[in-house]
Amino acid sequence: MNAIDRLHPTVMPVYFLAILLVAMFVSNPVISLLALLGGFLFCMTQCGLREMRAELKFYIPLFLLMALTNPLFSHNGVTPLFFMNGNAVTLEAITYGAAIALMVLAVLSWGKGFGRVMTSDKLVYLFGKAAPQLALMLSMSLRYIPMLRRQAKQISRAQKVAGMYSTESYFDRLRSTFRVISALIGWSLEQAVETSRAMRARGYGLKGHTSYSNYHFRRTDALLLTLAAILLAVVLVGIGMGAVDFAYYPAISALPHTALSVAVYTAFGCLSLLPSCIELGEQIRWNYYRSKI
Amino acid sequence: MELLQVENLTFTYPKQTTPALQDVSFTIADGEFVVLCGASGCGKSTLLKLLKREIAPHGEKQGNIRFSGVAQSELDERTGAGTIGFVAQNPDGQIVTDKVWHELAFGLENLGVPAPVIRRRVGEMASYFGIQGWYHQATDALSGGQKQMLNLAGVMTMQPKLLLLDEPTSQLDPIAADHFIDTLQKLNREFGLTILLVEHRLEEVFPIADRIMVLEAGKLICNGTPGAVAAQLRDHPMSRCLPSAARIWAGLSVDCPCPLTMREGKDFLHTHFSHRKGAAVPVHQPILEQPVIEAEGIWFRYEKKSPDVLRDLHLTVCRGEVFSLLGGNGAGKTTTLNILAALDRPYAGKLKIQGKPIGDYSKNSLYRRNLTMLPQNPQALFLKQTVHEDMEEIRKSIPDFNGQVERTIQFFAEKYAISHLLEKHPYDLSGGELQKCALVKLLLTKPSILLLDEPTKGMDAVSKAQFAKQIAELQAEGVTIVMVTHDVEFAAQVSTRCALFFDGEIVSAGTPNEFFSDHHFYTTAASRISRGLFDNAILCDEVITLCDEK
Amino acid sequence: MKKWISYGLLLVGIPLVLLLGATVFSTKQYAWLAMAVMVLTCVPFFLSFEGRQHGATRLVVIAVLAALSVVGRLLFAPLPGAKPVTAMVVITALYFGGEAGFMTGALTAVLSNFQFGQGPWTPFQMFAWGLIGLVAGLLAKPLKRSRVALCVYGALSGVLYSLLMDIWSVLWYDGGFNLSRYLATVLTSAPFMAIYAVSNVVFLLVLEKPIGSKLDRIKTKYGI
Repeated sequence: MNAIDRLHPTVMPVYFLAILLVAMFVSNPVISLLALLGGFLFCMTQCGLREMRAELKFYIPLFLLMALTNPLFSHNGVTPLFFMNGNAVTLEAITYGAAIALMVLAVLSWGKGFGRVMTSDKLVYLFGKAAPQLALMLSMSLRYIPMLRRQAKQISRAQKVAGMYSTESYFDRLRSTFRVISALIGWSLEQAVETSRAMRARGYGLKGHTSYSNYHFRRTDALLLTLAAILLAVVLVGIGMGAVDFAYYPAISALPHTALSVAVYTAFGCLSLLPSCIELGEQIRWNYYRSKI
Repeated sequence: MELLQVENLTFTYPKQTTPALQDVSFTIADGEFVVLCGASGCGKSTLLKLLKREIAPHGEKQGNIRFSGVAQSELDERTGAGTIGFVAQNPDGQIVTDKVWHELAFGLENLGVPAPVIRRRVGEMASYFGIQGWYHQATDALSGGQKQMLNLAGVMTMQPKLLLLDEPTSQLDPIAADHFIDTLQKLNREFGLTILLVEHRLEEVFPIADRIMVLEAGKLICNGTPGAVAAQLRDHPMSRCLPSAARIWAGLSVDCPCPLTMREGKDFLHTHFSHRKGAAVPVHQPILEQPVIEAEGIWFRYEKKSPDVLRDLHLTVCRGEVFSLLGGNGAGKTTTLNILAALDRPYAGKLKIQGKPIGDYSKNSLYRRNLTMLPQNPQALFLKQTVHEDMEEIRKSIPDFNGQVERTIQFFAEKYAISHLLEKHPYDLSGGELQKCALVKLLLTKPSILLLDEPTKGMDAVSKAQFAKQIAELQAEGVTIVMVTHDVEFAAQVSTRCALFFDGEIVSAGTPNEFFSDHHFYTTAASRISRGLFDNAILCDEVITLCDEK
Repeated sequence: MKKWISYGLLLVGIPLVLLLGATVFSTKQYAWLAMAVMVLTCVPFFLSFEGRQHGATRLVVIAVLAALSVVGRLLFAPLPGAKPVTAMVVITALYFGGEAGFMTGALTAVLSNFQFGQGPWTPFQMFAWGLIGLVAGLLAKPLKRSRVALCVYGALSGVLYSLLMDIWSVLWYDGGFNLSRYLATVLTSAPFMAIYAVSNVVFLLVLEKPIGSKLDRIKTKYGI
């Protein structure tokens, strides 16, 4: 039931990079807010409401911290609110801090949602096109990590039952973890030799390697990529023409609201909200079909 | 038509004087199912690896290996990799990638097969092996049986003509092992796939093989049909490895063809020993006093919201007992052992060790001269460069050993015949040798309770017989042993009591003779063969004795 | 010598040029630029790694060492202040060369952040750990010869790692490089820096021998 998951692995990185590029380069509050909104919604559709709520507990203090500490380091601006240790705390500095915080939160939430969507499978696929050996190495490491964790647990239990370092003190735990790591290294290197044997047995290293994947590039993917290109083009042209210029220092400028700037806002809004809309649309459609059954 | 020809193959490992293989010659015809067996260290693994050029060990090699008439060294790379498939012992070690689908495609990618063809072959193979259900899963999330099936499927996508398997079922539970062997048989029957299988679990494969070859100390001593080889081994120490029906036949001097399957064994007994009908093995009830493990109403689950693994478990084990827990995978046997060793904590119930509640043991006093556990994977016990260094570590565990460590190690090493292994690296030992060293390492802590988790996994018949002897000695010294095992034959041989574990509790328990003659499916081969003729006979030796009694 | 120059150019040149460019343009987007630089500096290494055909054993062993350092980070996670990643990366570099060290470092950052959380800091960690491995590989001979040198290298790499990550924090949370904020960040993270430095030394001292002997065993037994 995950519409984003069905897309080709190239689609989401394009959206992610486009949104990140604009959000980080343009210091316009509308753009930051749109990016944040899109990021929040996207993160919510991917991680669920409960996780999002937990995330907010971290986001809100971070926001306040950044907004409030910026004036301590930055004394630019023309509207002093009060003086601290002989330095002016300006309205501009606080606003700038808040704006940067918005941008940071937007990027963080996009990053979180994106991290959920870009499964290791897709990462290996993207690497696999350009660098097959690197992709294979990535895949092998991913295969080994859970296996090593399991073995680490077994070693630590075996050692405990043999009466080695089974107390709970910090140094005993430290020493026993060292022992586990050291044993794990020996064990995993033996496994590595066996794995390499299995690779050779199945023809690894022959000339003319091909690569296989379960992903297909469908019409939807083409459509979404074209759409992203058009929207990004509109936004970049607008930025290039100064339609969304905004300054915090020395004084907070007026928010641009020409026809072109509205077009840029709209285009970026579409870009930012599209991934969550696809996902939400899918869920609504699902509920609709289910209600008909 | 001959697919594989081996002529006068002699092989010596570097820095060794005695060859691992000596003048071995045989041929395998297209479509044959051949089983190669022999004691640990007889050279069967070496032989198998030599047949696959890509993984052949380094050393001095003489003689010829020909595949479809072409010398091995002349085979082109793709043929060498693709048409000879190899499946090894350890299900985990052979898996290369993190996802099942990628693992299936891996070999074909290496051969440079175009993606659409890979899609077709992988799809076909996944359907045939019943992999569709877990096609997208992570390889690490699979069970041991599934992993080995995946390894087989991953080789089969490359469409090999000859399949070499090195003890593929030794790390699997009996049900997964049966399924694996059945699949091999099916591949052989339905697709004419030529198979050379190295195995020590012969009960199942002996009757279905076309030919059996036996290696001893690097020499091929038998090569013939299963019946002929069984007859040839009649008085050989290797006869221990034969299927139960053949072992009973070997123990009796009756002049008739050797029975191989259970049914043939049954027919054989009824034909020749029907006059002994009704004979019974006397049942000795063990004297149960001095309980050392008392568990009452144990409930356990791994996480708050996961289902219960143990439900109201009651278990009492007395001093000097050998108590075997049998049952399917996931029934909670290993969990029980972990709870007895205080590695996991039940959320309800009482547990006393030596009469003392388990919570009252402070820090690691439970593991000092009291209770210890042999893990399923004994490699987890060894961290150092030699076995000896590892054993010396026991100083840290038992501080009051002062000066006695070396003498104790030497004493145990001699007693268990592992002196020659002490200076070796733990990972260079065979499964049976490692198990023995692990046991000795644990015995150095002078335990009075020994928990064993699948101790016979991967052991051949000879090592198993030695291990059974050691258990009997420990028992005589008053050590209490609780063992979790899938190996019914072994449990029947060494236990004082056996119990069947199902759905988080013990559903039946009793002396081995009572226990196995009461069960119809969960029982030994000898019991199945002699059922209806004799009462309570569960071991081949018991059947032989009952037949022989005048 | 040629190798040194090309590495030097790559490691110092690219970041310098780009940072200079950023100040000239005087945009406030150093974080983004820095991230791009980090990714860009990793690319040549990946390409040079990819350019050669690696044997199965070498490939698996490097993959396993990366997995080990990820698992090490996980195992030590409940014990505050202890992180064996740097030690693992350095040891890999000592035995398999700078390139393998770089790959292990970079892979560890990507893979362990699947557990600890991916973010814009991932490229920085990739670069920092990769660099530590690369330099250790170039200095393999003296580092293998003297344990003192190894300890100094471990401590230094802890300090450098911390300083580099502080640059990242300032760029990221300030939108630009502000020296006073950087100093404040360095000051607040000084205890962590000390812990990194000390724990790197401890980990190197404790792990170098066991891993070294195990790698040597594999090398002699199976010939890599």
